[in-house]
Amino acid sequence: MADLQKENLLLEVLKNHFNDKIFDLKVQRHQRVHLRTTTEQIEAVLLYLKEKLGYKHLSHISCVDWIEENRFELVYILWHPEDKINVLVKVDVDRLNPVAPNIDYIWPQANTYEREMREMFGIQFPGLVGRKELILEDWDDLPPMRRDFDTLQYVMENFEFRSGREDAQNVRETIAKRTGEEIPEFAKKYSR
Amino acid sequence: MNIWNLLLSAIVTTLLGFIIGVTYMGIRRKIVALAQNRYGPPIYQNFLDILKFWSKESNIYHGVMHHLAPLWMIAMAITILLIVPTQYGSKFFENLSFNGDLILILYLMPFGQLGMALGVGQTGNPNSAIGVTRGLSLLVGSEIPFIMALIAVMIQYHTTSVTDLVRIQQEHHTWIMFSSPFAFLAALCVLPAMFHAGPYEVIIAPAELASGPMSEFGGKYLGTMMSAGSIFMFAKLTLFVDVFMGGSTNWLWLIVKTFTVYLFVIAVGIIMPRLRTEQAIRRLWGWPLVFAILAFIQVALF
Amino acid sequence: MNRAFNDRESQKILDIIKNFARKNSLFILAYGTGCGAIEIPPTITSRYDAERFGIRGAATPRQADVLLITGYLSVKTLKRVIRAYEQMQDPKYVMGFGSCTINGGMYWDSYNTIKQLDKYIPVDVYINGCMPRPEAVIAGFVKLQQLIQQGKALGWKHYKENLEWYRQNQQKVIKNWRMPDYNW
Repeated sequence: MADLQKENLLLEVLKNHFNDKIFDLKVQRHQRVHLRTTTEQIEAVLLYLKEKLGYKHLSHISCVDWIEENRFELVYILWHPEDKINVLVKVDVDRLNPVAPNIDYIWPQANTYEREMREMFGIQFPGLVGRKELILEDWDDLPPMRRDFDTLQYVMENFEFRSGREDAQNVRETIAKRTGEEIPEFAKKYSR
Repeated sequence: MNIWNLLLSAIVTTLLGFIIGVTYMGIRRKIVALAQNRYGPPIYQNFLDILKFWSKESNIYHGVMHHLAPLWMIAMAITILLIVPTQYGSKFFENLSFNGDLILILYLMPFGQLGMALGVGQTGNPNSAIGVTRGLSLLVGSEIPFIMALIAVMIQYHTTSVTDLVRIQQEHHTWIMFSSPFAFLAALCVLPAMFHAGPYEVIIAPAELASGPMSEFGGKYLGTMMSAGSIFMFAKLTLFVDVFMGGSTNWLWLIVKTFTVYLFVIAVGIIMPRLRTEQAIRRLWGWPLVFAILAFIQVALF
Repeated sequence: MNRAFNDRESQKILDIIKNFARKNSLFILAYGTGCGAIEIPPTITSRYDAERFGIRGAATPRQADVLLITGYLSVKTLKRVIRAYEQMQDPKYVMGFGSCTINGGMYWDSYNTIKQLDKYIPVDVYINGCMPRPEAVIAGFVKLQQLIQQGKALGWKHYKENLEWYRQNQQKVIKNWRMPDYNW
């Protein structure tokens, strides 16, 4: 079923045009191509994909916080309506000085995504127009989607819980105790 | 007729108008509910609503005109109810039905809305301002065919008095709706617009205007406005019945006639979806105006 | 004359009449937060028909009696809810929907939603569930009607008496307290 002809052709074209400016070039699976580039080259890559190869649609810009490797990873997800291929363009941004190029002149809808990332991760996009507040209001703490922002601690400081439910705070643990199941160590933090 | 008798009859008429009007509103809610396959509220629901609004413990107001607007409305409603002859031939319920009053009624009818516009202006709520603008546009739309129809009737019978019109109909055992059908049709077409009901709900548009002019009124002000609306509705129905359907000589007959007319308004309201303001005015100046002109032609020829 | 209307017995009769009108004519403010707002349309339309109980939608806070907090309440929305609540005319009632308003529900460790609604505005009736179905909503309304008839739904009075405590809690969560001046 998975005839990867179109995907391999795209890979070939990109490799010839950008040479060593892009790396990690691979076909992830049917209809999905993955590549990685740098903040200096991202605008060139996106413009080339849009204007020359027909990837007209920017589906999403997402951000991943790799706190252990001290970087943010921006993922630009593009879609070709005729070839039906998703291209995932990834770019790394330094976590201590997070600055990424503003691309809302290529796709106007990128403006909203970038404002959201500015608010939720604190990534700066030079020349980005728009109000500073998008979703949050009067926020004066760390950007809340960063992984070093401790949600639980913030909640404990700012809100109070209703008493009476102390025995069943950890639902997952209660169920596991009842059935004799063992929760692995890494899953304990996220099994509340 | 001494002054106490007049006062008593005025109070009795107003109370009856209030009770009948509010009950009609309740019946309307019930019928709409049944049409939507619901059980619906009891028919005395609107009495409870008004009583609840009157028993509110805080009533906010934004200034003198805002305070006076509901009073203005209820004063106009009661005045029109007293001028319109409710009972033909009854000495007790004669009230203020002196001769030469149809033009006065037409002159008084927009006053309630104008008073509301003044009160609404003081609240400073933008939704209310839009609602009032729409209300006055709709007034222009409905008033022109209605006035033309009434003028045709006035010319045909050489009188401007509602009492005289009722007397003519009662003496000749006919209704004007049969003798000048085009005027009747024109008036009937604009009737839903005069009640702001049915497809002409552009003023109180809860979806986009947050109940329009009333959006800053609460508590007893809203209760008064609801009472005024009910009385005004009954007064308008009585006027319509007097001019076109021969008036009545007892209250039961009046209730039967007015409720038949109101049923028409309810049915139109259930069947038709809401119009936009410009569509509403285009519709009001369409066939109703044609009917009104035909009524003039009928008067000129016969 | 004054004594006849102000003694305790006639006041009691008056209260019974008032409470009967209040309980049978509840106008709910058409304001929905969170996911529970989707339970309101089936409740008031043909299937469950809340108009049987005199429950009806009102478009503005000035006309409404009941404020429904339908689900989680973010801090940003709380500010609007407080304004809407304070603009409503007394007596006014609040119903909290779902576990989110009771103890945070599934958003218990979210940085942006409040955990206990009754710390910020007085709540007369809580309906638990996630989300409560229209049957539960109607049961909640019936409970509210019982409370009104017994004269126990006095959250609005409690709010006025303990305004400082409520303001303190509200200002703790809403960092930048910029409320415009308005009279209630």
